[in-house]
Amino acid sequence: MNKQLQQFLTGRIWLREHTPFPREVIDAHIDSGHIHLKPGVLTKSDSNLFWQSKMNTCNRCHNTNPSLFHSFNCARCNKICTYCRHCIRMGRVSSCSELLLWDKQHARSANAHVFAWSGQLTPLQQKASEELLASVEQNQSHLIHAVCGAGKTELLFQAIFACLQAGKRVCIAAPRTDVILELFPRFQKVFPNTTIHALYGGSPDQHGFPELVLATTHQLYRFEHAFDVVFVDEADAFPYYADETLQKAVTKAAKQEAALHYVTATPTKSLKTTNQSILTRRYHGHDLPVPKFVSLWGYARQLKKGKIPLKLQTWINGKIETNTPFLIFLPTIEMLENFPGELPRVHAEHPDRKELVMQLREKKTPGLLTTTILERGVTIENVHVAVVGAEQPIFTSSALIQISGRVGRSAQYPDGDITYFHHGISREMDKAQDAIEGWNHS
Amino acid sequence: MTCLICGTLYQPSATWSRLFIYELDSSTCKRCFAKFEISKSTIDFTDFLGTPYEGAVDSVFCLYSYNEPMKEYLHQYKFLQDVALAKVFSGKLQQAFQRKEGIVVPIPMHPEKLKLRTFSQVDKLLNAAQVPFQQLLTKTTSDSQGKKTKKERLETTNLFEVISTIEAANYILFDDIYTTGATIHHAAKILKDAGAKRVDAITLIKG
Repeated sequence: MNKQLQQFLTGRIWLREHTPFPREVIDAHIDSGHIHLKPGVLTKSDSNLFWQSKMNTCNRCHNTNPSLFHSFNCARCNKICTYCRHCIRMGRVSSCSELLLWDKQHARSANAHVFAWSGQLTPLQQKASEELLASVEQNQSHLIHAVCGAGKTELLFQAIFACLQAGKRVCIAAPRTDVILELFPRFQKVFPNTTIHALYGGSPDQHGFPELVLATTHQLYRFEHAFDVVFVDEADAFPYYADETLQKAVTKAAKQEAALHYVTATPTKSLKTTNQSILTRRYHGHDLPVPKFVSLWGYARQLKKGKIPLKLQTWINGKIETNTPFLIFLPTIEMLENFPGELPRVHAEHPDRKELVMQLREKKTPGLLTTTILERGVTIENVHVAVVGAEQPIFTSSALIQISGRVGRSAQYPDGDITYFHHGISREMDKAQDAIEGWNHS
Repeated sequence: MTCLICGTLYQPSATWSRLFIYELDSSTCKRCFAKFEISKSTIDFTDFLGTPYEGAVDSVFCLYSYNEPMKEYLHQYKFLQDVALAKVFSGKLQQAFQRKEGIVVPIPMHPEKLKLRTFSQVDKLLNAAQVPFQQLLTKTTSDSQGKKTKKERLETTNLFEVISTIEAANYILFDDIYTTGATIHHAAKILKDAGAKRVDAITLIKG
């Protein structure tokens, strides 16, 4: 048995054509029964007198949406072959492709884990951390509901260390690559003796058997029954809550008896856990800045004509005069691209997103225009924020709460301006404001 | 409808020609499609002057330039094997072929390569555009042109063989991308040698 292959495939579900091992090695392990095969796409046909229907399921990403399957005459199997378009970026999975799963004894690690963290938790964090630890020990699912800037990552450390010491395999999943990139060095410092892999689209090859995996939720498509404990960070972030296959991926990546734990600022009703902890205070103890509503009637038409509405212009000028960095959130990429003036702008497809955010931090640029891409994970000292078109459906209450959470994160500037410019107040805006005020009063 | 490229829902624009003239449905949203750039560069055959390939091709027409969105498209279509994307250019390709007269001959793939890729990207583009074509050529080598220099490409012996009788008629070669022109010239020469009267070429992209 090839040990490296065992370490690689344990808990994974991997496309046969794309393994980093020679073909003969894979073939030998299939013959010896170490690896078992699953077809890439499962097609169930259902027919009766009135209709015929075919239901496809991708065995890797568990997508069942018929519009994301495509059938064609395949030159490899000489049949009509169906493939999944949903997870195609990880290598195409089709009816005639095979997925590898490790069937025999799982890889184990012999690392003696070390917990090297000397930071201090606030009493609120400490309480939540202990509650989480208790849930983890009893293998019950736990929800940490913490406001933006409460210091969520630190309070996971204790529980993760306990799991690792018990010989469990742990996964921390987050919907966004930015978050994984930020967490990776922090965890490496805290657990210096643990093999940690960070998996995201385009991540480099990493060797050995990781006891702790930091992965984007997308990468969990490639795991099956792998983890004893899973923590989902930012469970309210796009696209996790909107994409059912990502939620299934998390469940699939966990072992059947494993408990799933969630960390979020805006829990949705679909997150069901046995226990929960609530942190309504930021680590610095100050109130959260409450959003102001300012009407900006017909802003879309004015912007289309190339004019910045007066109230918005005054707001921008005020920030420039006082030398305060600012972010303006816009609902669509089109509006962002057509926004008059010279302000730099970032969206998901923008190549130097990170550089522009750095420039804002270093005050080389007065402000940034952005789509919801910067709604979370960005910390800029003393930043003020405006949301233009806050009534648009893309700004859900959780998006608005996250956006408002950009303001006043540092202890030095715990307050700041957060303004929703709107063409009519939406329910979601009210919900966001109520939630923030509610946390401040509790 | 769902855009094949970005996955968002879009409303195909309602036009008179859509209502009254038979037209292939679009498969991408306006925003994605607008990123492809119509090719304006003219193609000259000066590189082939004095070689056996001089005069083999009568004209070449390329639809799009090889900009960043096109690179991404081709990557997803060819290398990630997303066959569904063959539909993206169906309308424009159909128009391009309507303007020319002749028997359409796609540039073939080596059978081994075809087995690996599971589909022929050139044939699928024509299928999607509902352009009838004939397989008249076969590829003799399996090595890719992409990794060779221009000189090497010209010096190799002809890449193709004719597998059917060629009449003294007009032929239109079709390929996905025109880079140095070696592939198209090899194929055209074989057709001309076998008796073709005129050989034009259409490619989706000018590399």
